Amino acid sequence: MKVDEVGTAQLQARHLTRLFTTRTPGRLFNANRIVRAVDDVSLDLVAGEVVAVVGESGSGKSVLARMLARIVRPTSGDVILQGVHIARRTKRTLDYSSQVQLVLQDPFASMNPVHRIRHNLERPLLIHGAKKTDVERLAQAALTRVSLEPPGRFLDRYPHELSGGQLQRVSIARALCVEPKVLLADEPISMLDVSVRLGVLNLLRGLCDDDQLAILYITHDIASARYIADEVIVMYAGQVVEQSRGSVLVDQPTHPYTRLLIASVPNHSDPPSASPSSNEQIQTAIAEEGCRFAPRCASVMDRCRVEAPPQFVVGENHTSRCWLYADCPPLEVEVTLSKHLREGDTTKT
Amino acid sequence: MDETRTKNRILDLRNFSVDYGWGDGAVRAVDNVTMHVDRSTVVGIAGESGSGKSTLIYGFTRLLRAPGVIAGGEALFNLSDASASEGNFINLVTATESEMRRVRWSNISIVLQSALSALNPVLRVRAQFDQVLKTHRPHMSKSQRRDRTIELLALVGLNEDRLRRYPHELSGGQRQRVMIALALTLNPSLVVMDEPTTALDVVTQREIIGKLAELRSQFGFAMIFITHDLSLLVELADEIVVMYAGTVVERAPAQTLYDSPRHPYTLGLLSSFPPMHGARTELTGIPGSPPDLSDMPGGCRFHPRCPYAMERCARETPPLAQVTNESRSVACWLHAGDEDAAVPVELRRVGVERHPPLGAENAEGET
Repeated sequence: MKVDEVGTAQLQARHLTRLFTTRTPGRLFNANRIVRAVDDVSLDLVAGEVVAVVGESGSGKSVLARMLARIVRPTSGDVILQGVHIARRTKRTLDYSSQVQLVLQDPFASMNPVHRIRHNLERPLLIHGAKKTDVERLAQAALTRVSLEPPGRFLDRYPHELSGGQLQRVSIARALCVEPKVLLADEPISMLDVSVRLGVLNLLRGLCDDDQLAILYITHDIASARYIADEVIVMYAGQVVEQSRGSVLVDQPTHPYTRLLIASVPNHSDPPSASPSSNEQIQTAIAEEGCRFAPRCASVMDRCRVEAPPQFVVGENHTSRCWLYADCPPLEVEVTLSKHLREGDTTKT
Repeated sequence: MDETRTKNRILDLRNFSVDYGWGDGAVRAVDNVTMHVDRSTVVGIAGESGSGKSTLIYGFTRLLRAPGVIAGGEALFNLSDASASEGNFINLVTATESEMRRVRWSNISIVLQSALSALNPVLRVRAQFDQVLKTHRPHMSKSQRRDRTIELLALVGLNEDRLRRYPHELSGGQRQRVMIALALTLNPSLVVMDEPTTALDVVTQREIIGKLAELRSQFGFAMIFITHDLSLLVELADEIVVMYAGTVVERAPAQTLYDSPRHPYTLGLLSSFPPMHGARTELTGIPGSPPDLSDMPGGCRFHPRCPYAMERCARETPPLAQVTNESRSVACWLHAGDEDAAVPVELRRVGVERHPPLGAENAEGET
């Protein structure tokens, strides 16, 4: 199997599920509750494409990324790396992490603050078996790749001496220096200054286009997802609620939750108004039965409260988990959306 | 000086400066900022981290910790209420600690970015309100305090059963609502908000902003709202002050600033947000990174990053000058106070493209 070709699925998730058990505050006995942090999520990360996962905090998007990085073990479901099933129970191996790398939100927290950038970059190289004589050159090359030039100027600095934007670039460089095929970026720009965010987004897009990396971009900012992604997935309470190629989902949202997300983006043409769910009780409610979004949904119907909707195919390469589209064909359970999408793509071209 | 001491002015900052450190090692974090806030208005301060926006508010509220020192200027605050016929100003810079203690919370209150670290982690929500009321309203009885707390929580959309919760048991949005309720406890005339929604996700942010707008029209307090998100300010603020490297680079009514930014930095900030509508085109943001305060570039502080920099910009610092015939000021040699100066076309055009309303499809966002 040729792995570097455009359109080759590098990393696939099939029916990934992760449950957590929590205890209700203030109650000691019989109060255990199961939280479905990620519930039956399937996606494909393809070389040369950015897949964006959008959702509020608590939607399970970070748990998804950590399962793909094999930091969190899935409760059920499969992770498939370049066509090979990764056994659920095995720990993350060096081999796996040389293919799949994770970039975290806060670059200051993800660097060792008492060591210079040189140490932070060379350590993964040494762990992954680079020769001692090569590490300096490789570290410099990695910094050049993320446009930190001249690299010599940065190697001997400490993390606190760099700005957030520069340090996030270093943290991307660190992920890249083991030559992974997949980059998982968990909110890479949300801690950065407004003026440098676009630079980091453009860098990720460039890595994807030029080096055929497969990138998972996790964010709560739907506008940046629209800007960078080839495919956008909206998650709510652990489930994929809407998924589309390109920006279709942002331009023509179908799911009420996606519409709520879009309406929440600051936009001067709408006067500020208390949104429909400003009662916090409703706001935090996730239905146990039926559609999970039903308690907050503006277009809720009787059916939504009893029956959980499947994903409906509402348009070409566009699915929505909402009973409003019950007339559309449901997404075949066995065929995951991304596969379906790629077939759609080939018929188009 | 006296003509500005009108009864409608709440806060008047004049040539306000803050240093970190002393003597040769001093770094100027806020440099000669002059701005004012009128009664019942919202002034937004926008800028990146390190632009001095938080230092500015910690400065005039006298919450700065060493090595931060107020290096100069004055901060005049109006103590009289709206019905008074003239202002009764106190200079916060020279006020004694006991004077400050009377002003704080009763007249000026503050909402911080991280509600989790601003709330006392070992006290229940009710006790946090009790502390404030006991200190500032010693005559109130226990049941009066409880009633007031329930009333305040209801204002921000929280239920009575939250009284017994600890901060860690609340979600981020709920904590920030508690912070806002706490800030309003004593009916202040000025509420200072330091990035209150930055740590929240967009839907919660939208709810908090909506709630703030509602509360402001109900109680008529003035607000200083600090954020790095200019588009949020355009919705909420009456006037926007843009700060860069400790100085004010532009000041204008919110809509005017959004439609026709004059300073290249403001334009850069506005075009740093990917749009929700229109074609997907590559945006560049602002090249480079904010300057190091201890190694400030000469002349205009923005010139190394500015696409319109001229030779003059590296030599001379542009003053914050009023644009002819307009209620706006800008510190940029491109304008030099003259509206008809040869301004680059990007800065002259009206509008970063106007966003069309989302239309009928978006109905649930507006009901």
